[in-house]
Amino acid sequence: MKLARRVWIGAKSLLIGLGVTGRHLFRKPVTLQYPHEKPDASRWGGPIELRTFPETGTHDCIACNACTRICPSECIYVEGKRPEGSKKMRATLFTLDFSTCSLCGLCVDVCPTETLQYSKRYDEAMYTRPATVNDLLGPFGEDPYLTGKLK
Amino acid sequence: MLAGARDWLAGLGLGEFGATVLLGVALIMGYLTFNVLFLIWLERKVSAHIQRRFGPMEVGPHGSLQTVADMVKLLGKQILTPVATDKFVYILAPVLVFVPTLCLASLIPLSGAEAFANLPYGLVVLIALSGISVLAIFMAGWASNNKYAVLGGMRSVSQVIAYEIPILLAALSVVMIAQSLNLREIVAAQARGVPFALLQPVAAVLFFIGITAETNRAPFDIPEAESELVGGFHTEYSGMRFAMFFFAEYTNMLVLAALGATLFLGGWLGPWLPGPVWLLLKAYAIVFVMIWMRWTFPRLRFDQLMTFAWKLLIPVALVNLVITAFAVGGRR
Repeated sequence: MKLARRVWIGAKSLLIGLGVTGRHLFRKPVTLQYPHEKPDASRWGGPIELRTFPETGTHDCIACNACTRICPSECIYVEGKRPEGSKKMRATLFTLDFSTCSLCGLCVDVCPTETLQYSKRYDEAMYTRPATVNDLLGPFGEDPYLTGKLK
Repeated sequence: MLAGARDWLAGLGLGEFGATVLLGVALIMGYLTFNVLFLIWLERKVSAHIQRRFGPMEVGPHGSLQTVADMVKLLGKQILTPVATDKFVYILAPVLVFVPTLCLASLIPLSGAEAFANLPYGLVVLIALSGISVLAIFMAGWASNNKYAVLGGMRSVSQVIAYEIPILLAALSVVMIAQSLNLREIVAAQARGVPFALLQPVAAVLFFIGITAETNRAPFDIPEAESELVGGFHTEYSGMRFAMFFFAEYTNMLVLAALGATLFLGGWLGPWLPGPVWLLLKAYAIVFVMIWMRWTFPRLRFDQLMTFAWKLLIPVALVNLVITAFAVGGRR
Protein backbone atom coordinates (compact mmCIF):
# COMPACT_ATOMS: atom_id res chain seq x y z
CA MET A 1 0.00 0.00 0.00
CA LYS A 2 2.82 2.31 0.95
CA LEU A 3 4.61 1.41 -2.27
CA ALA A 4 1.49 2.04 -4.34
CA ARG A 5 1.17 5.45 -2.73
CA ARG A 6 4.79 6.27 -3.48
CA VAL A 7 4.42 5.18 -7.09
CA TRP A 8 1.26 7.26 -7.44
CA ILE A 9 2.94 10.36 -5.99
CA GLY A 10 5.98 9.81 -8.19
CA ALA A 11 3.91 9.37 -11.34
CA LYS A 12 1.92 12.49 -10.52
CA SER A 13 5.08 14.54 -10.05
CA LEU A 14 6.36 13.32 -13.42
CA LEU A 15 3.15 14.47 -15.08
CA ILE A 16 3.40 17.85 -13.35
CA GLY A 17 6.96 18.13 -14.65
CA LEU A 18 5.80 17.37 -18.17
CA GLY A 19 3.14 20.04 -17.72
CA VAL A 20 5.75 22.63 -16.79
CA THR A 21 7.95 21.94 -19.81
CA GLY A 22 4.87 21.58 -22.02
CA ARG A 23 3.75 25.07 -21.09
CA HIS A 24 7.15 26.52 -21.88
CA LEU A 25 7.17 24.72 -25.22
CA PHE A 26 4.54 27.07 -26.59
CA ARG A 27 5.79 30.29 -25.04
CA LYS A 28 7.78 32.85 -26.95
CA PRO A 29 11.55 32.29 -26.92
CA VAL A 30 13.40 34.86 -24.87
CA THR A 31 16.63 34.76 -26.87
CA LEU A 32 17.59 37.06 -29.75
CA GLN A 33 18.68 35.87 -33.19
CA TYR A 34 21.90 37.74 -32.62
CA PRO A 35 23.45 38.81 -35.91
CA HIS A 36 19.99 39.54 -37.32
CA GLU A 37 18.44 41.05 -34.21
CA LYS A 38 20.42 43.24 -31.87
CA PRO A 39 19.53 44.19 -28.32
CA ASP A 40 18.27 47.68 -27.44
CA ALA A 41 21.45 49.56 -26.52
CA SER A 42 19.86 52.99 -26.00
CA ARG A 43 20.48 52.90 -22.23
CA TRP A 44 23.80 51.12 -22.45
CA GLY A 45 27.01 52.74 -21.25
CA GLY A 46 29.85 51.39 -23.36
CA PRO A 47 33.45 52.59 -23.68
CA ILE A 48 33.75 56.36 -23.42
CA GLU A 49 33.78 58.59 -26.49
CA LEU A 50 34.06 62.30 -27.20
CA ARG A 51 30.78 64.10 -27.80
CA THR A 52 30.32 66.14 -30.95
CA PHE A 53 28.80 69.55 -30.17
CA PRO A 54 26.41 70.80 -32.88
CA GLU A 55 27.60 74.45 -32.52
CA THR A 56 31.19 73.68 -33.48
CA GLY A 57 30.81 70.34 -35.20
CA THR A 58 33.64 68.91 -33.17
CA HIS A 59 34.53 67.84 -29.63
CA ASP A 60 35.50 70.18 -26.85
CA CYS A 61 38.41 68.40 -25.17
CA ILE A 62 40.81 70.93 -23.69
CA ALA A 63 43.39 68.35 -22.62
CA CYS A 64 42.98 69.36 -18.97
CA ASN A 65 43.88 65.82 -17.89
CA ALA A 66 41.18 65.74 -15.22
CA CYS A 67 40.07 62.37 -16.55
CA THR A 68 43.62 61.04 -16.57
CA ARG A 69 44.08 62.02 -12.94
CA ILE A 70 40.81 60.64 -11.65
CA CYS A 71 40.92 57.39 -13.59
CA PRO A 72 41.44 54.58 -11.03
CA SER A 73 42.69 52.19 -13.71
CA GLU A 74 45.02 54.72 -15.32
CA CYS A 75 43.78 53.74 -18.73
CA ILE A 76 43.39 57.23 -20.25
CA TYR A 77 46.25 59.08 -21.89
CA VAL A 78 45.82 62.62 -23.21
CA GLU A 79 48.22 64.96 -24.96
CA GLY A 80 47.38 68.54 -25.87
CA LYS A 81 48.66 71.61 -27.67
CA ARG A 82 47.72 75.29 -27.51
CA PRO A 83 46.63 76.67 -30.88
CA GLU A 84 48.25 79.99 -31.73
CA GLY A 85 46.45 82.97 -30.26
CA SER A 86 44.21 80.88 -28.04
CA LYS A 87 43.93 80.48 -24.30
CA LYS A 88 42.39 76.99 -24.45
CA MET A 89 44.38 73.83 -25.03
CA ARG A 90 43.25 71.31 -27.64
CA ALA A 91 43.75 67.55 -27.40
CA THR A 92 46.11 66.11 -29.96
CA LEU A 93 45.97 62.55 -28.64
CA PHE A 94 43.32 60.85 -26.54
CA THR A 95 43.64 57.08 -26.01
CA LEU A 96 41.62 54.75 -23.83
CA ASP A 97 43.08 51.34 -22.97
CA PHE A 98 39.78 49.46 -22.80
CA SER A 99 41.45 46.28 -21.52
CA THR A 100 41.82 47.88 -18.09
CA CYS A 101 38.83 50.25 -18.14
CA SER A 102 36.15 49.27 -15.63
CA LEU A 103 33.52 51.65 -17.02
CA CYS A 104 33.26 53.39 -13.62
CA GLY A 105 32.31 56.67 -15.28
CA LEU A 106 34.43 58.96 -13.06
CA CYS A 107 35.98 60.54 -16.19
CA VAL A 108 32.52 61.28 -17.58
CA ASP A 109 31.53 62.95 -14.29
CA VAL A 110 34.72 64.98 -13.89
CA CYS A 111 35.00 66.31 -17.46
CA PRO A 112 34.71 70.12 -17.17
CA THR A 113 33.52 70.67 -20.73
CA GLU A 114 31.18 67.67 -20.66
CA THR A 115 32.69 66.35 -23.85
CA LEU A 116 33.20 62.84 -22.47
CA GLN A 117 30.24 60.50 -22.63
CA TYR A 118 29.43 56.80 -22.70
CA SER A 119 29.11 55.36 -26.17
CA LYS A 120 26.40 52.88 -27.17
CA ARG A 121 28.89 50.27 -28.36
CA TYR A 122 28.41 46.90 -26.65
CA ASP A 123 30.05 44.31 -28.88
CA GLU A 124 33.66 45.15 -28.08
CA ALA A 125 35.63 42.12 -29.12
CA MET A 126 39.06 42.18 -30.67
CA TYR A 127 41.77 39.75 -31.65
CA THR A 128 44.93 41.46 -30.38
CA ARG A 129 45.90 43.30 -27.23
CA PRO A 130 46.92 46.53 -29.05
CA ALA A 131 43.45 46.61 -30.58
CA THR A 132 41.95 47.22 -27.13
CA VAL A 133 43.42 50.73 -27.15
CA ASN A 134 40.79 53.09 -28.53
CA ASP A 135 41.83 56.29 -30.29
CA LEU A 136 39.04 58.65 -29.28
CA LEU A 137 40.16 61.44 -31.62
CA GLY A 138 40.21 59.11 -34.59
CA PRO A 139 36.64 59.80 -35.79
CA PHE A 140 37.19 63.59 -35.75
CA GLY A 141 40.02 63.84 -38.27
CA GLU A 142 41.70 67.21 -38.63
CA ASP A 143 41.16 69.56 -35.70
CA PRO A 144 39.60 72.84 -36.87
CA TYR A 145 41.10 74.81 -33.95
CA LEU A 146 44.63 73.61 -34.56
CA THR A 147 44.42 74.27 -38.30
CA GLY A 148 43.02 77.72 -37.63
CA LYS A 149 39.61 77.18 -39.21
CA LEU A 150 37.91 77.95 -35.89
CA LYS A 151 38.98 80.46 -33.25
CA MET B 1 4.48 5.39 -60.44
CA LEU B 2 5.86 2.63 -58.25
CA ALA B 3 4.72 -0.02 -60.72
CA GLY B 4 6.47 1.90 -63.50
CA ALA B 5 9.69 2.07 -61.53
CA ARG B 6 9.43 -1.64 -60.79
CA ASP B 7 8.93 -2.51 -64.43
CA TRP B 8 11.87 -0.33 -65.43
CA LEU B 9 14.10 -2.05 -62.86
CA ALA B 10 12.83 -5.48 -63.93
CA GLY B 11 13.78 -4.55 -67.48
CA LEU B 12 17.38 -4.07 -66.35
CA GLY B 13 17.64 -7.81 -65.81
CA LEU B 14 16.79 -8.01 -62.13
CA GLY B 15 13.58 -9.93 -62.59
CA GLU B 16 10.22 -9.03 -61.07
CA PHE B 17 11.11 -10.24 -57.58
CA GLY B 18 14.52 -8.58 -57.48
CA ALA B 19 13.06 -5.31 -58.71
CA THR B 20 10.33 -5.38 -56.05
CA VAL B 21 12.82 -6.10 -53.28
CA LEU B 22 15.20 -3.40 -54.47
CA LEU B 23 12.43 -0.85 -54.73
CA GLY B 24 11.07 -1.75 -51.30
CA VAL B 25 14.50 -1.48 -49.67
CA ALA B 26 15.13 1.85 -51.40
CA LEU B 27 11.76 3.18 -50.24
CA ILE B 28 12.19 2.07 -46.64
CA MET B 29 15.81 3.26 -46.45
CA GLY B 30 14.89 6.56 -48.05
CA TYR B 31 12.06 7.13 -45.67
CA LEU B 32 14.13 6.12 -42.64
CA THR B 33 16.87 8.55 -43.65
CA PHE B 34 14.32 11.31 -43.94
CA ASN B 35 12.87 10.23 -40.61
CA VAL B 36 16.22 10.45 -38.83
CA LEU B 37 16.94 13.89 -40.23
CA PHE B 38 13.46 15.03 -39.26
CA LEU B 39 13.62 13.57 -35.76
CA ILE B 40 16.99 15.11 -34.95
CA TRP B 41 15.66 18.45 -36.14
CA LEU B 42 12.50 17.94 -34.08
CA GLU B 43 14.53 16.98 -31.03
CA ARG B 44 16.62 20.14 -31.29
CA LYS B 45 13.59 22.31 -31.91
CA VAL B 46 11.56 20.84 -29.04
CA SER B 47 14.49 21.09 -26.64
CA ALA B 48 15.11 24.67 -27.72
CA HIS B 49 11.52 25.75 -27.28
CA ILE B 50 11.21 24.01 -23.91
CA GLN B 51 14.25 26.06 -22.87
CA ARG B 52 12.72 29.16 -24.50
CA ARG B 53 15.30 29.29 -27.27
CA PHE B 54 14.86 29.18 -31.05
CA GLY B 55 17.09 26.24 -31.89
CA PRO B 56 18.51 25.91 -35.39
CA MET B 57 17.28 28.80 -37.55
CA GLU B 58 19.96 29.49 -40.15
CA VAL B 59 19.94 26.64 -42.66
CA GLY B 60 16.64 26.52 -44.51
CA PRO B 61 13.32 27.78 -43.15
CA HIS B 62 13.41 27.40 -39.36
CA GLY B 63 16.62 25.42 -39.67
CA SER B 64 14.88 22.52 -41.38
CA LEU B 65 17.95 21.74 -43.51
CA GLN B 66 20.36 21.95 -40.56
CA THR B 67 20.44 18.18 -40.11
CA VAL B 68 21.06 17.69 -43.83
CA ALA B 69 24.06 19.98 -43.52
CA ASP B 70 25.20 18.08 -40.44
CA MET B 71 24.97 14.78 -42.25
CA VAL B 72 26.94 16.08 -45.21
CA LYS B 73 29.56 17.30 -42.76
CA LEU B 74 29.73 13.91 -41.03
CA LEU B 75 29.99 12.15 -44.41
CA GLY B 76 32.95 14.32 -45.31
CA LYS B 77 34.79 13.79 -42.05
CA GLN B 78 37.79 11.57 -41.62
CA ILE B 79 36.96 8.21 -40.07
CA LEU B 80 39.41 7.61 -37.27
CA THR B 81 40.27 4.15 -36.01
CA PRO B 82 42.15 4.20 -32.70
CA VAL B 83 45.23 1.99 -32.60
CA ALA B 84 44.17 -0.17 -29.66
CA THR B 85 40.84 -1.21 -31.11
CA ASP B 86 39.78 -4.67 -32.16
CA LYS B 87 39.56 -3.60 -35.80
CA PHE B 88 37.14 -6.15 -37.19
CA VAL B 89 34.56 -5.79 -34.42
CA TYR B 90 35.09 -2.05 -34.28
CA ILE B 91 34.21 -1.64 -37.94
CA LEU B 92 31.41 -4.19 -37.86
CA ALA B 93 29.53 -2.71 -34.89
CA PRO B 94 28.10 0.46 -36.49
CA VAL B 95 26.80 -1.60 -39.40
CA LEU B 96 25.36 -4.28 -37.18
CA VAL B 97 23.61 -1.81 -34.92
CA PHE B 98 21.53 -0.74 -37.87
CA VAL B 99 20.57 -4.11 -39.32
CA PRO B 100 18.07 -5.29 -36.65
CA THR B 101 16.37 -1.91 -36.72
CA LEU B 102 16.00 -2.14 -40.47
CA CYS B 103 14.53 -5.63 -40.18
CA LEU B 104 12.07 -4.36 -37.58
CA ALA B 105 11.01 -1.52 -39.85
CA SER B 106 9.95 -3.96 -42.54
CA LEU B 107 7.94 -6.13 -40.13
CA ILE B 108 5.42 -3.56 -38.97
CA PRO B 109 2.13 -3.70 -40.90
CA LEU B 110 1.47 -0.36 -42.57
CA SER B 111 -2.08 -0.83 -43.82
CA GLY B 112 -2.99 -4.52 -43.61
CA ALA B 113 -2.83 -4.75 -47.39
CA GLU B 114 0.86 -5.13 -48.16
CA ALA B 115 2.48 -8.48 -48.80
CA PHE B 116 5.10 -8.32 -46.08
CA ALA B 117 4.54 -8.06 -42.32
CA ASN B 118 2.14 -10.96 -42.23
CA LEU B 119 4.07 -13.38 -40.05
CA PRO B 120 2.02 -15.64 -37.77
CA TYR B 121 4.55 -15.01 -34.98
CA GLY B 122 5.42 -11.45 -35.96
CA LEU B 123 5.50 -10.08 -32.45
CA VAL B 124 7.99 -12.68 -31.26
CA VAL B 125 10.27 -11.95 -34.23
CA LEU B 126 10.03 -8.23 -33.55
CA ILE B 127 10.89 -8.49 -29.88
CA ALA B 128 13.70 -10.95 -30.55
CA LEU B 129 15.21 -8.68 -33.20
CA SER B 130 14.93 -5.58 -31.07
CA GLY B 131 17.13 -7.29 -28.49
CA ILE B 132 19.92 -7.86 -31.00
CA SER B 133 20.92 -4.25 -31.51
CA VAL B 134 22.22 -4.18 -27.94
CA LEU B 135 24.74 -6.80 -29.01
CA ALA B 136 26.13 -4.34 -31.55
CA ILE B 137 26.26 -1.65 -28.89
CA PHE B 138 28.26 -3.93 -26.63
CA MET B 139 30.51 -4.85 -29.54
CA ALA B 140 31.15 -1.16 -30.12
CA GLY B 141 31.95 -0.60 -26.47
CA TRP B 142 34.20 -3.63 -26.20
CA ALA B 143 36.07 -3.14 -29.46
CA SER B 144 36.80 0.50 -28.67
CA ASN B 145 39.14 -0.67 -25.90
CA ASN B 146 38.21 2.34 -23.82
CA LYS B 147 36.96 2.14 -20.25
CA TYR B 148 34.12 4.58 -20.79
CA ALA B 149 32.98 2.75 -23.89
CA VAL B 150 33.08 -0.63 -22.13
CA LEU B 151 31.14 0.74 -19.17
CA GLY B 152 28.57 2.26 -21.51
CA GLY B 153 28.23 -1.00 -23.41
CA MET B 154 27.85 -3.03 -20.22
CA ARG B 155 25.26 -0.67 -18.85
CA SER B 156 23.37 -0.88 -22.11
CA VAL B 157 23.30 -4.67 -22.01
CA SER B 158 22.04 -4.91 -18.44
CA GLN B 159 19.50 -2.18 -19.07
CA VAL B 160 18.05 -3.70 -22.21
CA ILE B 161 17.87 -7.19 -20.67
CA ALA B 162 16.03 -5.75 -17.69
CA TYR B 163 13.57 -3.71 -19.71
CA GLU B 164 12.91 -6.32 -22.37
CA ILE B 165 10.96 -8.35 -19.80
CA PRO B 166 8.28 -5.73 -18.99
CA ILE B 167 7.98 -5.00 -22.74
CA LEU B 168 7.39 -8.67 -23.44
CA LEU B 169 4.94 -9.09 -20.54
CA ALA B 170 3.04 -5.96 -21.56
CA ALA B 171 2.88 -7.16 -25.16
CA LEU B 172 1.73 -10.60 -23.96
CA SER B 173 -1.28 -9.17 -22.18
CA VAL B 174 -2.29 -7.62 -25.49
CA VAL B 175 -1.69 -10.94 -27.24
CA MET B 176 -4.01 -12.64 -24.75
CA ILE B 177 -6.88 -10.36 -25.65
CA ALA B 178 -6.20 -10.45 -29.39
CA GLN B 179 -5.58 -14.24 -29.31
CA SER B 180 -2.81 -13.84 -31.89
CA LEU B 181 0.86 -13.03 -32.25
CA ASN B 182 0.32 -11.72 -35.76
CA LEU B 183 0.44 -7.94 -35.70
CA ARG B 184 -2.23 -7.73 -38.39
CA GLU B 185 -4.59 -9.85 -36.33
CA ILE B 186 -3.87 -7.69 -33.29
CA VAL B 187 -4.86 -4.58 -35.22
CA ALA B 188 -7.89 -6.39 -36.62
CA ALA B 189 -8.92 -7.26 -33.04
CA GLN B 190 -8.72 -3.57 -32.19
CA ALA B 191 -10.86 -2.75 -35.20
CA ARG B 192 -13.61 -4.96 -33.73
CA GLY B 193 -13.37 -3.34 -30.31
CA VAL B 194 -11.47 -0.40 -28.85
CA PRO B 195 -7.73 0.36 -28.97
CA PHE B 196 -5.96 -1.82 -26.42
CA ALA B 197 -4.59 1.23 -24.64
CA LEU B 198 -8.09 1.60 -23.16
CA LEU B 199 -8.38 -2.08 -22.20
CA GLN B 200 -4.79 -2.33 -21.00
CA PRO B 201 -3.73 1.08 -19.67
CA VAL B 202 -1.17 -0.43 -17.31
CA ALA B 203 0.38 -2.51 -20.06
CA ALA B 204 0.47 0.55 -22.34
CA VAL B 205 2.35 2.57 -19.73
CA LEU B 206 4.73 -0.32 -19.05
CA PHE B 207 5.36 -0.76 -22.75
CA PHE B 208 6.05 2.94 -23.18
CA ILE B 209 8.53 2.97 -20.29
CA GLY B 210 10.12 -0.16 -21.70
CA ILE B 211 10.66 1.22 -25.20
CA THR B 212 12.04 4.45 -23.75
CA ALA B 213 14.64 2.39 -21.89
CA GLU B 214 15.23 0.10 -24.85
CA THR B 215 16.08 3.01 -27.14
CA ASN B 216 18.45 4.39 -24.48
CA ARG B 217 16.46 7.59 -24.20
CA ALA B 218 16.39 9.91 -21.20
CA PRO B 219 15.63 9.39 -18.33
CA PHE B 220 17.13 5.96 -19.07
CA ASP B 221 20.07 7.16 -21.18
CA ILE B 222 22.81 5.95 -18.85
CA PRO B 223 24.67 3.98 -21.57
CA GLU B 224 25.70 7.33 -23.00
CA ALA B 225 25.46 9.45 -19.87
CA GLU B 226 27.69 12.24 -21.08
CA SER B 227 28.28 13.64 -17.60
CA GLU B 228 29.88 10.40 -16.41
CA LEU B 229 30.88 8.40 -19.46
CA VAL B 230 32.01 11.02 -22.01
CA GLY B 231 30.08 9.55 -24.96
CA GLY B 232 29.40 6.08 -23.60
CA PHE B 233 29.74 3.24 -26.09
CA HIS B 234 30.38 5.57 -29.05
CA THR B 235 33.17 7.58 -27.42
CA GLU B 236 35.79 6.34 -29.89
CA TYR B 237 33.67 6.62 -33.01
CA SER B 238 33.86 9.52 -35.42
CA GLY B 239 32.48 10.62 -38.74
CA MET B 240 29.89 8.48 -40.44
CA ARG B 241 30.45 5.54 -38.09
CA PHE B 242 29.28 7.71 -35.23
CA ALA B 243 26.41 8.89 -37.38
CA MET B 244 25.34 5.27 -37.86
CA PHE B 245 24.75 4.94 -34.11
CA PHE B 246 22.72 8.12 -34.19
CA PHE B 247 20.86 6.81 -37.19
CA ALA B 248 20.08 3.54 -35.44
CA GLU B 249 18.94 5.26 -32.27
CA TYR B 250 16.43 7.51 -34.00
CA THR B 251 15.22 4.80 -36.35
CA ASN B 252 14.75 2.53 -33.37
CA MET B 253 12.67 5.21 -31.71
CA LEU B 254 10.32 5.42 -34.66
CA VAL B 255 10.09 1.67 -35.17
CA LEU B 256 9.40 0.85 -31.54
CA ALA B 257 6.93 3.72 -31.34
CA ALA B 258 5.22 2.28 -34.42
CA LEU B 259 5.13 -1.10 -32.69
CA GLY B 260 3.57 0.55 -29.65
CA ALA B 261 1.03 2.28 -31.87
CA THR B 262 0.22 -1.08 -33.49
CA LEU B 263 -0.22 -2.88 -30.20
CA PHE B 264 -2.02 -0.23 -28.19
CA LEU B 265 -3.33 2.57 -30.39
CA GLY B 266 -4.94 0.62 -33.21
CA GLY B 267 -2.09 0.73 -35.75
CA TRP B 268 -3.23 1.88 -39.15
CA LEU B 269 -6.88 2.24 -38.10
CA GLY B 270 -8.39 5.69 -38.35
CA PRO B 271 -10.92 7.65 -40.35
CA TRP B 272 -10.35 9.67 -43.56
CA LEU B 273 -6.58 9.33 -43.90
CA PRO B 274 -4.87 6.26 -45.44
CA GLY B 275 -3.51 3.60 -43.08
CA PRO B 276 0.25 4.29 -43.23
CA VAL B 277 -0.38 7.96 -42.49
CA TRP B 278 -2.35 7.07 -39.39
CA LEU B 279 0.31 4.66 -38.22
CA LEU B 280 3.02 7.27 -38.67
CA LEU B 281 0.94 9.95 -36.96
CA LYS B 282 0.44 7.73 -33.93
CA ALA B 283 4.10 6.69 -33.92
CA TYR B 284 5.28 10.28 -34.15
CA ALA B 285 2.96 11.25 -31.31
CA ILE B 286 4.69 8.62 -29.14
CA VAL B 287 8.12 9.80 -30.33
CA PHE B 288 7.17 13.37 -29.50
CA VAL B 289 6.31 12.36 -25.94
CA MET B 290 9.69 10.59 -25.71
CA ILE B 291 11.47 13.75 -26.83
CA TRP B 292 9.38 15.83 -24.47
CA MET B 293 10.32 13.50 -21.59
CA ARG B 294 13.98 13.75 -22.44
CA TRP B 295 13.97 17.48 -21.88
CA THR B 296 11.93 17.25 -18.68
CA PHE B 297 13.30 14.44 -16.54
CA PRO B 298 16.75 14.05 -15.03
CA ARG B 299 18.71 10.89 -15.67
CA LEU B 300 18.24 7.97 -13.27
CA ARG B 301 21.13 6.60 -11.30
CA PHE B 302 22.13 3.13 -12.44
CA ASP B 303 20.95 1.28 -9.31
CA GLN B 304 17.66 3.22 -9.41
CA LEU B 305 17.23 2.14 -13.00
CA MET B 306 17.71 -1.53 -12.18
CA THR B 307 15.55 -1.33 -9.05
CA PHE B 308 12.82 0.32 -11.08
CA ALA B 309 12.83 -2.47 -13.66
CA TRP B 310 13.18 -5.52 -11.42
CA LYS B 311 11.31 -4.44 -8.32
CA LEU B 312 8.49 -2.43 -9.84
CA LEU B 313 7.93 -2.86 -13.58
CA ILE B 314 8.26 -6.63 -13.76
CA PRO B 315 6.02 -7.44 -10.74
CA VAL B 316 3.40 -4.98 -11.98
CA ALA B 317 3.59 -6.47 -15.46
CA LEU B 318 3.21 -9.99 -14.07
CA VAL B 319 0.21 -9.04 -11.94
CA ASN B 320 -1.31 -7.30 -14.93
CA LEU B 321 -0.74 -10.39 -17.04
CA VAL B 322 -2.39 -12.70 -14.47
CA ILE B 323 -5.40 -10.39 -14.12
CA THR B 324 -5.72 -10.24 -17.91
CA ALA B 325 -5.52 -14.02 -18.12
CA PHE B 326 -8.34 -14.41 -15.61
CA ALA B 327 -10.45 -11.75 -17.31
CA VAL B 328 -9.96 -13.30 -20.74
CA GLY B 329 -10.55 -16.81 -19.36
CA GLY B 330 -13.68 -15.67 -17.52
CA ARG B 331 -15.25 -14.29 -20.70
CA ARG B 332 -14.88 -17.53 -22.61
